[in-house]
Amino acid sequence: MTKDTTDQYWKSLNEPQAAGDEFPEPLDATRVGFRRREFLRAAGFVFGGAALSGCGKAPVERAIPFLDKPEEITPGRAVYYASTCDGCTAACGLLVKCRDGRSIKLEGDPQHPLSRGGLCAVGQASILGLYDTQRLRHPLRRGQPSSWEEVDRIVMETLERVRADGGAVRFLTNTVHGPTMRTAIGDFLADFPDARHVVYDPLSSSAILDAHERTHGVRVLPHYRFDQARVIVSFDADFLGTWISPVEFTAAYQSGRNLEVARPEPSYHVQFESRLSLTGSKADERIRIAPGEVGATLTRLAALVARRAGVSFEASGSTEELEPIAQRLWGARGDSLVVCGAQDADAQAVCNFINQTLGNYGITLDIEEPSHQLQGSDRELATLIQELDQGRVSVLFIVGVNPLYDLSGSERLEELLRKVPLVVSFAERLDETAETAHFVCPDHHYLESWGDREPVAGTVSLLQPCIRPLGDTRQLIESLSAWRSAPKAAHEVVQEHWRTHIFPQQAEQVSFQSFWDKTVRDGCVKLDHAPAPARQFNAAAVQPIPSATSNEFTLVLYPKVGLRDGRHAYNPWLHELPDPITKVTWDNYACLSPLAAQQLRVSEEDVIRIKGASSVLELPVVIQPGQHDRVVAVALGYGGKITERFADLAPRWLEAKPTVAENGRVGTNSAPLLELSGGTLRYVAAVELQAAGKRHPLACTQVHHNIRVPENLAPPGGEVRPVIQETALAEHQSNVRSGKEYSEHEHADLWGEDHPFTGHRWAMAIDLNACTGCSACVVACQVENNTPVVGKDEVRRSREMHWLRIDRYYQGDGNDVRVAHQPMMCQHCEHAPCETVCPVLATVHSEEGLNQQVYNRCVGTRYCANNCPYKVRRFNWFDYPRNSTLENMVLNPDVTVRSRGVMEKCTFCVQRIQEAKIEARRQGKPVEDGAIQPACQQTCPAGAIVFGDLNDPDSRVSQLLRSSRRYQVLEEINVRPSVGYLRLVRQQSPATEGEAHG
Amino acid sequence: MASSSSLLRQPLIAGDKTPGEVTSDICAVLDRRLSRGWWAAFLPALALLLVGAVAVTYQVVTGIGTWGLNNTVGWAFDITNFVFWIGIGHAGTLISAILFLLRQQWRTSVNRAAEAMTIFAVICAGIFPVIHMGRPWLAFWMFPYPNDRGPLWVNFRSPLVWDFFAISTYFTISLTFWYVGMLPDLATIRDRTAPGLRRRMLEIFSLGWDGSYRTWQRYETVYKLLAGLATPLVVSVHTIVSWDFATSVIPGWHTTIFPPYFVAGAIFSGMAMVMTLMIVARKTMGLEDYITHAHVDKMAKVTLATSLMVGLAYLTEFFTAFYSGNSYEQFVFLNRAAGPFAFGYWIMVLCNVSVPQLFWFRKVRANLAVVFVMSLLINVGMWFERFVIIVSSLHRDYLPSSWAGYAPTTIELATLAGSFGLFFACFLLFCKFVPVINISEVKGVLSVGRERRAAPEPEHAAPVRQEGVTA
Repeated sequence: MTKDTTDQYWKSLNEPQAAGDEFPEPLDATRVGFRRREFLRAAGFVFGGAALSGCGKAPVERAIPFLDKPEEITPGRAVYYASTCDGCTAACGLLVKCRDGRSIKLEGDPQHPLSRGGLCAVGQASILGLYDTQRLRHPLRRGQPSSWEEVDRIVMETLERVRADGGAVRFLTNTVHGPTMRTAIGDFLADFPDARHVVYDPLSSSAILDAHERTHGVRVLPHYRFDQARVIVSFDADFLGTWISPVEFTAAYQSGRNLEVARPEPSYHVQFESRLSLTGSKADERIRIAPGEVGATLTRLAALVARRAGVSFEASGSTEELEPIAQRLWGARGDSLVVCGAQDADAQAVCNFINQTLGNYGITLDIEEPSHQLQGSDRELATLIQELDQGRVSVLFIVGVNPLYDLSGSERLEELLRKVPLVVSFAERLDETAETAHFVCPDHHYLESWGDREPVAGTVSLLQPCIRPLGDTRQLIESLSAWRSAPKAAHEVVQEHWRTHIFPQQAEQVSFQSFWDKTVRDGCVKLDHAPAPARQFNAAAVQPIPSATSNEFTLVLYPKVGLRDGRHAYNPWLHELPDPITKVTWDNYACLSPLAAQQLRVSEEDVIRIKGASSVLELPVVIQPGQHDRVVAVALGYGGKITERFADLAPRWLEAKPTVAENGRVGTNSAPLLELSGGTLRYVAAVELQAAGKRHPLACTQVHHNIRVPENLAPPGGEVRPVIQETALAEHQSNVRSGKEYSEHEHADLWGEDHPFTGHRWAMAIDLNACTGCSACVVACQVENNTPVVGKDEVRRSREMHWLRIDRYYQGDGNDVRVAHQPMMCQHCEHAPCETVCPVLATVHSEEGLNQQVYNRCVGTRYCANNCPYKVRRFNWFDYPRNSTLENMVLNPDVTVRSRGVMEKCTFCVQRIQEAKIEARRQGKPVEDGAIQPACQQTCPAGAIVFGDLNDPDSRVSQLLRSSRRYQVLEEINVRPSVGYLRLVRQQSPATEGEAHG
Repeated sequence: MASSSSLLRQPLIAGDKTPGEVTSDICAVLDRRLSRGWWAAFLPALALLLVGAVAVTYQVVTGIGTWGLNNTVGWAFDITNFVFWIGIGHAGTLISAILFLLRQQWRTSVNRAAEAMTIFAVICAGIFPVIHMGRPWLAFWMFPYPNDRGPLWVNFRSPLVWDFFAISTYFTISLTFWYVGMLPDLATIRDRTAPGLRRRMLEIFSLGWDGSYRTWQRYETVYKLLAGLATPLVVSVHTIVSWDFATSVIPGWHTTIFPPYFVAGAIFSGMAMVMTLMIVARKTMGLEDYITHAHVDKMAKVTLATSLMVGLAYLTEFFTAFYSGNSYEQFVFLNRAAGPFAFGYWIMVLCNVSVPQLFWFRKVRANLAVVFVMSLLINVGMWFERFVIIVSSLHRDYLPSSWAGYAPTTIELATLAGSFGLFFACFLLFCKFVPVINISEVKGVLSVGRERRAAPEPEHAAPVRQEGVTA
């Protein structure tokens, strides 16, 4: 570069002559020595740093406050919004816990008239769906991301054409009982000349509705009132686990059996069933019958009841063993209840006849204010498939169901769907059906939505959004209104419907605004509903069912407590939740009775081939005591496309094995063996079984099932461990007042009291009689305490992280088993063996009786876990993946996320204790009994868990722990647990008393 | 060999050595270049050590989940290996301290190697409590030292803290004892070494030893004092290790018999390991004259005695369980003998109780090949003893619901292999760079100058030490 300086001006004599040389000296990185400015800068930095670090405290960091603070949000304080659970159609009441604008936990709404504060495992887990990374975030057109404008334009054009052509529009949904939604769908369809709303439920109860149409002339699902029933006879209805509305039924069932509440007699429950269900595990009397015998057994029972009532009803076969049951039913006529879960309208009609003859309608079964929880009609589904077959359907909307997964013959169905000119799916995730749809218009998650539900006639609850929609999704109501060229916000639609339809049905509130505000706050309202007129019973519609014994194997497809129909199969919490009976996670399997397994020469984890009429399944075997010998039971809900996400779920290391099977999915879909015949979805089918000569590993959390130790290792007198204590009802009743006091010092002690417990002393009582094993608490604990999911391989290695587990023990000979469920968590021992052995004091006793684990002090020797007699401590073997910032939004900010290498365990939800104590101090009041509910207690539908202060003699927990039923697990080793259990009280049927002891 | 009719004892050192010969014999190994045989042993040991190092690194980086442990079985290979190596370490102190105080002169040929073995075994053992932690980088929290975390102290009630004290004390005393005992020999080598770096190093490490009466007198005082200090450690270390288990509430662990049982087992396994190493060393290093059949015979007798003690302990445990009337306790022992880990139990009984009974026979004791194989079996048996105690007690404790199994992963197997690699690599280096046999003490038990004495030896054969430095 040549420099010509002549035509440049200069300002001072110091100015360099070279114009291009801006810096007076060349910059030299290697130059040693400071210049003055640099020295001052460095010195300033050093002095400043020294001054800062010299301060006693680190500088206080202040989060930036809201510039525009929402009125009700205080950072760090939780806000609860009342809403309604949409995990299934039971529609339990919810309180959504929101922290700083994000929903983090669902709690049962104690004011809800049906669910009464309980929430099931599925409901608890459904919050994870909100933060699911694979939830659709925008509409799809032929699988490609699209915009709402484009979707609206094409859908509206097509609809216009169809309206003009008179083409058939079908709206396929699962049960929709939200009044606003029903009206919206109705209004939408009313615009078309040939439009119909087709409803089916993947877990159908349509036979019950069909039977009522026959016998009572109205297609309704009765509202079952288990709380009113003194004798309950159930035929294959798993009403405590998965049937219709398990939370409501569990609460009601338990209120009729609570030994602490004054009531002459707890209800008596007989369960006829083919597989061992959760409900069967609680029954006072359990009778194994093949699914094919349900109708005939009902008929014989009907005949016995009819004879007593002086009505004629014919039945063939021996009725001797049913005699005592009929007698009990007759003795409790008017407040007994016979329910049947079989998808067989004939059998259901007989069931109706029995209830009618006993005079139970209007008392334990309500068809005047019936349930709306399942309204599916399999017949209409069959008609729709026929129409599709004929190519008559022009537009098909699909909401809340996944027919290509739920139903058998999915290949053919897929072809049929492809022939429909317009298929619109509203799926939240890209499931099998949504994949074939032309458009996917993803609906909001229910926690982002406005809506309402009417699970039982006259009981209406609201859904309100608790968070702003996370994606570019749109509520179904809004899509429908947009396509009617009258776009309206969901909030407006719901409010409008309530103003015109719901508000007039009540008299309590005068102004709509106060009615609305109150309902939004409470979540639920009871309407002054005019009951439907009583219906005449049509006895002619009931036909006796002849006995049809067959020696073939019958397949029973059943819903699992965690996964139900598979709509929540995206949810790792539910996959990792051990099945309450088999304790297997992350798989479905074929349950066989011990005898059947012996006959087929298969053992656990051997794969068997199940050959049905149209399809063949291969599944690993689980040997299930208490199951009928000619039955193979397989869970629905597995093997869906949405389980492919679990391919890399677990920690990765040298010997890690994937959570998914060879097919890339979790479990196998058993729906191909489902039959839709005679207008009914049938969950039973005749099958052939054959060993496949393969093995498939299963991840079971409880390897040893029995309360007995293995026979060859049993020391004399030590065959049965006194872990579960039980007593007979008669004994309990004669002895109930002479309860032994809660005694502190049953064992001599070398040391003085080192814990005075002057303030609070936290304790827990668990009623084994109430606990059904439904496992809601397990998931609630997992959500509340940020417990990681570890995947199948880790569970198989006995490294599951659940702080709360439910131990399930069998007693008996493998055929007539008795089951006990025992929730087991940290017992917060007063003489905690874990505390003395920790070398670094990472686990210590609090002055309120809590056994505390200090995560950041723990070095992970695992000595505490070894020395725990209850084995409730959980170790972080790996850094469990928490890579998704979206999914991490569900984490409870009050609970530390534990790092690798530290021990953790139940804390009695110490964060809730602290919160309640701080709140009480703020209000200047003592902590009220019941103000602190750990997550497990809060969600328990049966109210089996009670937490409180033992230093308060009037607290519920103190009262329960003074009960004669109280015992402590492993009392004899004198670790003095703070958790007391209340003995099981069995009502033994005299006939089975002798043989029940195996 | 001397005739059996002689009134004299069998000489402890064969071959009619003069003190000068002793020095040159033992130092010969140090003077020679590294032999092929040595490399043939050292390289595999080093390879094993590397395998172990890779495994441990992987485990520390990835997480302790790379071991086969689970919620029920929180310890298995880790603590088994720890107790095993600590046990191996026991014979060293026993031979060097207790036998010294009891004036058992046969110890002179083996004490140096046994002490070295102790130190290496304790190093191997010490690794496991650190790497078995979930967060081994925080292992220093086990030290009770003033700190700015509160200050937060260790839990003095925890047996793991006692362990920490016991083992660090044991290691310190053993190392000191070993080093002090080596001073005269280091001086001997120094005097044989040409000036240079090596000689300079030896001058430093021999602490200016000059062979004067005063030096000897102080040396002997210190040595005796250290022996006295080390003696209680023989009992204390394994007693405290056993408290890890005995103070717990787990059936099968909660047993007062554990301290003597563990100490006996430790001496048993340590003796077996000394025999294993010495039989190899005498053969490969040409030390047959120093480590004679008589030495092996005596060690075999100690092994037999401790085997009987261990066997008695096994029986006592069963009797106690039976007599206790405690069904949990009874179950644990039935489960040990017939449960899923019964193979471990029966290997243990076979190797630790049945096999050593052959030592009743002089012929067996004299057959070095048989003794060698038996010593290996005993070590296998003793490893399984710890495995059985730890795993079979944990895997089925109180609540049947939490029963579980256990199987080691490759990482655990590699870590075990690595600990053997470390041990043998250290021992081979020791063989090469330090006199394997205590030259000065061996000279003291030579028959020089006493050979033709008519009367039996005096009770106390005061060694004539001066040759030690002038040879």
